[in-house]
Amino acid sequence: MTQPVDVLARVRAALGRHAPLSAPPIPPEMDEPITRLVHSDFGLPELFARKAMENKIGVELVYVDELAERLIAFLRVQQVQRIALPVSPFLDKLGIPAAIADGGFFATRWDQMTLDALYDYDAAVTDVYAAVAETGSLVVRASPGHGRALSLVPPIHIAILQPKDFVPDLVDLLQKLRDDGVTSATSIITGPSKTSDIEMNLVVGVHGPTTVHAFVLQ
Amino acid sequence: MLEITLTLTLSHEYVGEGIGSRNRRANAASLQSAAMARRPFGQQAMDEHTEAFLDQAQAARFDFKTASAKAAGDERLKLAVNNAVMRQYSGRSLALMQLPDADRLRTLAGQIKQHALDHLDYYLEQLKANVERNGGQVHFAADGADARRIILDLAQRANVKTAVKSKSMVSEEIDLLPAMERAGIETFESDLGEFIVQIGHDRPSHIVGPIIHKDRRSIAELFSQYFGTPYNDEPTALTMQARKFLRGKFRRADLGMTGGNFLVAETGQVCVVENEGNARQSITTPRVLVSLVGIEKIVPRLADLAVVLKLLARSSTGQHMTVYTSLFGGPRGAGESDGPEEFHLVLIDNGRSEILASDYRETLRCIRCGACLNACPVYRSIGGHAYGHVYSGPIGALITPLFQGLANFKELPQASSLCGACYEACPVKIDIPRHLINLRRDIVNQRLLGFWERTIYRLWAWSMLSPLRYAIVVRLQRWRLRRSARGSGWVTRMPKIASGWTQVRDMPAPAPRTFHQLWSDR
Repeated sequence: MTQPVDVLARVRAALGRHAPLSAPPIPPEMDEPITRLVHSDFGLPELFARKAMENKIGVELVYVDELAERLIAFLRVQQVQRIALPVSPFLDKLGIPAAIADGGFFATRWDQMTLDALYDYDAAVTDVYAAVAETGSLVVRASPGHGRALSLVPPIHIAILQPKDFVPDLVDLLQKLRDDGVTSATSIITGPSKTSDIEMNLVVGVHGPTTVHAFVLQ
Repeated sequence: MLEITLTLTLSHEYVGEGIGSRNRRANAASLQSAAMARRPFGQQAMDEHTEAFLDQAQAARFDFKTASAKAAGDERLKLAVNNAVMRQYSGRSLALMQLPDADRLRTLAGQIKQHALDHLDYYLEQLKANVERNGGQVHFAADGADARRIILDLAQRANVKTAVKSKSMVSEEIDLLPAMERAGIETFESDLGEFIVQIGHDRPSHIVGPIIHKDRRSIAELFSQYFGTPYNDEPTALTMQARKFLRGKFRRADLGMTGGNFLVAETGQVCVVENEGNARQSITTPRVLVSLVGIEKIVPRLADLAVVLKLLARSSTGQHMTVYTSLFGGPRGAGESDGPEEFHLVLIDNGRSEILASDYRETLRCIRCGACLNACPVYRSIGGHAYGHVYSGPIGALITPLFQGLANFKELPQASSLCGACYEACPVKIDIPRHLINLRRDIVNQRLLGFWERTIYRLWAWSMLSPLRYAIVVRLQRWRLRRSARGSGWVTRMPKIASGWTQVRDMPAPAPRTFHQLWSDR
C-alpha cells in the first residue's frame, strides 16, 4: 500500500518540511492552576457524592458492615432478578456475591457468561478503576474479569466505591491512566445514558443504563 | 451606470441583497414544486425545506441566497432551531463560569491544538506507531473515495453483514452510510438523532444536535411509518422504541464504527465523547471496529485531554462532562471476552493537508462543539441546511468553501455580519471573522465575482479615492435621493440594483446639508 507515505508526505510538504523532525517537538506547558478545578485531597467522597447526584447518579455513603444490607434493599426496590458481576477480589472480600445469592437473586460472574447472555440481565454490580470527584464520574477499565459491557448493557449499573478509588480532578485521572499504561478500553461514566435529541426533551436511558447507583464506603 | 454608482455610495453594503433579490421569488417557487414532486421515502415526504436544500446542495453551484431566504421565512424551523440553540448557548455561559479562568483555558486549548497542527507529521507518525503497538492497524486515506474503499475492503474481508455506527461528522463529510448500504452491508446509525436522520433520508442540521430542525410530530410520524406502529409523539416512548430496535442491531452487528473527538499521539488512543452510550456499544459488541477520524484531531499527550475535555462539553451543551468519555486504541486485550477482535483506525486527509498549507491552518483546530452555531445570529435565523453542506454555521461558512472549493460556495463567507460572536464562543479561539474576511479577499483576488458586481465595486472605489470625485458623487446622490423622497420625506424605491434594500424598508431622505458642509461652516 502506498497511501501511508502519500498522506504523511502531503502533510509534511504542507508544513514546509522535507524530512522528519530531528527532535521531538515540545508541546505547550500544562497550566495546572487554570486547568485543575479541585486542588485538595480532602473530602473527595463528599464532593463526588454532590457532583454525581447532579449527574443523576444515585449515591449512598455506607459503612462496610451495612453495605450488603443496603445493596440488597436497593436491588429489591428496583425489582431486579438477574445480576451480573465482574471477577473482583474486592467485591469477594466484601462478601457481595454471597450476599446477592443469599438474597435470592440469580447472579452470574462475567467469566461464566457470554456477552449475548448479558443482554437478558437486569443489573450489574461492579467495582471501579477510579472515581473523579471533580465531575462525579465513575471510571471503568476493560479487563478479562471485567468486560466493557458490564457497566453498559444491563439497565441498572451499581458501583461499589472505596476511599482509595477517588482522584480529585480529571487532571489526576489522566495522570493515573498514563502511569498505569494503556489498556484496551477505558470509559468515564458521568450519569445514566441520556439524550435530548427530540425537541430538547431530556430522556434517560437510550443505549446504556437507565439507572446508575454508587455505594461509597466510608 | 452613474445612478448605480451613486446608490452604492450611500448604501454599498446592500448591493449583495439587491442582486440576489431579483430572482428570489421565482427560484423559491420552482424549488418548492420540485420538492413536492418527489417522495423519496414511501409516502413519507422528507421535510420540504430539507429536500429543497439538498437539491440545491447537489447542484454544481450552490445557491445560498435562495436557500437562506426560504429558510429565513420558515417560522416553524426558526422556532425549533432557536429552542435548541438558545438552551445550549445559555448552558454554555453558565458552564464556563465553573472554570477558574475560561478565557485562558481557551487560549491554552488553542495553543495545544495549534502545536499539534504545526507538527502534525511528527504526531501522526507517533500515533501510528502507538496504535500498532496496541495491536491496531492504521490506514491513511487521501480523500473520501479512498476512505470508503478502505472501509468497504475491511468490511468485505471480515465478511461483515451488519454494521452499527455512532455519530461522526467526518462520515457525513464522505457520505459513508450510503456507500455501505450500496455495498450490501446493512448499516444503522445508532445515535438517536442520526437514526432519525437516516430513516427520514434527511441531513443533520447541527454538528451536535442533528435533528434540531425537526419537531416531535414529524419524528412520531416517521417512526409510525418506519416501525408500522401507532402514532405516539411522547419523546420517552419514541426513544424507548429506538432503544429496543437498535439494541437488537448492536447484539448482532459484525462491524462497529465510530468517529473520534481526539486522537492521543503518546498513547495511540481514540477518545470519543457521547451521552447516549451508542459509541460504547459500537466499541463493545461488534467483532470488528473501525474508527474514521480526520488527521487534524490529534493532541500530543493524555494530559492535554483535561484541557480540551473540560471545554468541549461545556461549550457544546453546557454539561461539565458528557455522560460517556471513552478511550480505546486497539483490539480487546488478552483474555478479554468483549470488545473488537480487530481494530482499524482510518485517518483521513480529504483536503485537510491543503488547509494546513494555507493561511487557514488555524481552522483545523476546530473540535466540532457547535458553540459558534449556537452563538450565530445568522445560523439562528436560517438553521443548518441552508449552508448546503455537512458543516453549518460560522465554522461551516468558513470550512465548506475550503473543503469544497471557494467557487462553489462563494456566498457562504458573505453570510456573516462579522459580529464576532463565533470567535467569542470558540473554545479553541479560531478567529472565524478574520478568516471570513480573508475568504472574501480571496473571492475578489480569484475573480470569482460577476462582471457587473466587480465593475460596480471598482467604480465605487474609484469614486471614493479622490475628494473631488467623492464630493461630486455625494452631491449627485443627495440630489437624486431627495428628489425621489419628495413629499413623504422617505425613499421608498431604489433603482434595480439596490431595490432589495427598499423592498422591505424605507429609507429617510438625506439631510439638506452633509456633515462635511456642517463641519466646514462651524
